[in-house]
Amino acid sequence: MADTAKKRVLVVDDANLVRLYYRDALERAGFEVIEAFNGLEALETLLDGPVDLLIVDVNMPQMDGLTFLTTLRSRDEAIAAIPALITTTEAGPQDEAAARTAGANFYLTKPVSQDALAEYALLMAGGAA
Amino acid sequence: MPPAPVTEEELQRLCEFLYRKTGMIFGESKRYYVQRRIDERIAATRAGDFAGYFSLLRSDIDGEIEQFINAFTVNETYFYREDHQLECLTRDLLAERVRDRPRSAPLRIWSAPCSTGEEPYSIAMWLLDNWPLVDAYDIEIVGSDIDSRVVEAAREGLYGKRALMRLSPEVVARYFIPEGEDHWRLIDDLRQSVGFTAVNLVDGPQTRAHGRFDVIFCRNMLIYFDDASRRVAAENLYEALLPGGFICLGHTESMSRISPLFTVRRYADAIVYQRPLERVRG
Repeated sequence: MADTAKKRVLVVDDANLVRLYYRDALERAGFEVIEAFNGLEALETLLDGPVDLLIVDVNMPQMDGLTFLTTLRSRDEAIAAIPALITTTEAGPQDEAAARTAGANFYLTKPVSQDALAEYALLMAGGAA
Repeated sequence: MPPAPVTEEELQRLCEFLYRKTGMIFGESKRYYVQRRIDERIAATRAGDFAGYFSLLRSDIDGEIEQFINAFTVNETYFYREDHQLECLTRDLLAERVRDRPRSAPLRIWSAPCSTGEEPYSIAMWLLDNWPLVDAYDIEIVGSDIDSRVVEAAREGLYGKRALMRLSPEVVARYFIPEGEDHWRLIDDLRQSVGFTAVNLVDGPQTRAHGRFDVIFCRNMLIYFDDASRRVAAENLYEALLPGGFICLGHTESMSRISPLFTVRRYADAIVYQRPLERVRG
């Protein structure tokens, strides 16, 4: 199968090491991975076209993950419905509730192992290809 | 008394051995250089003479091959050099540093001197591959060197074959992009994960400007200083550590000879020095 058939994941996290760690897990699971540094860059990236899954950190500079999701979900476009997985160090029940309200479909507290990330990504995107 | 000079035949045997292990060629023209390092290693291992040392080297007692190679590469470094310290970092030091700490507090690691970047980048790669909490902390890795030219080279992240000799093909494929015939460039995400600065560790204000760190790698630098500079650098490094923070030195170095400020900690993979936790006054 050619690369063009791969599903695409956008990883939104301000930490280079975290993006690299997630990218590695997702590429090995068969996804094509694109990256954004914060919510603003993610919105800009999505102007180029939709992806199959968003993996979004919460605490990021300029635009955090919850503001990004709220903004995205309010759009009247195809990108508004992209499934979103939140990965964050914020572990309280109120944090998860806030993420759900913002439009997250699933919520994982960091540390997230590479295996777990790949498994949830595959489930949420309906496979990698 | 220093050991007797090696004979031509011994030198040749050793150079052949060195060549097989490293690809480096040391001919008769470098005789003085080679003899000096052999003497150092004979003394350090208490092998007594060349014959005793050479048999120890060939059997790789206590990892002597790596120690021997390191003795020949003082101004050069490579990825995953002395990786037992990296083992210690992920197995013991970070576990202690993140205990009872809020997730929001950044975890800061300093590589100084960093030369052309192999050490701080090795730390980043090692954390990605060996520390399951890598995504749970805001990790800040800083590389510093007194030589601004090597700092610039470190930012470039372009390496030759020798720097990559300890890395598996999988690791090279994951973190490097081939460039030309025999060079490899680190991928952008890794290059951007380390901040580089020029700093002189004997200069207090320059050192303090970097804030405080959880772990400092300061390998094979203090050995080049005289006693006074060494003590000043040790004080500066102490100030640059958070209370409870750790400093890793090169395998031939001992902080105990330089400064009483630090507590020696012995772990399975390495001996490191710790800035004591501040006592509550009362």
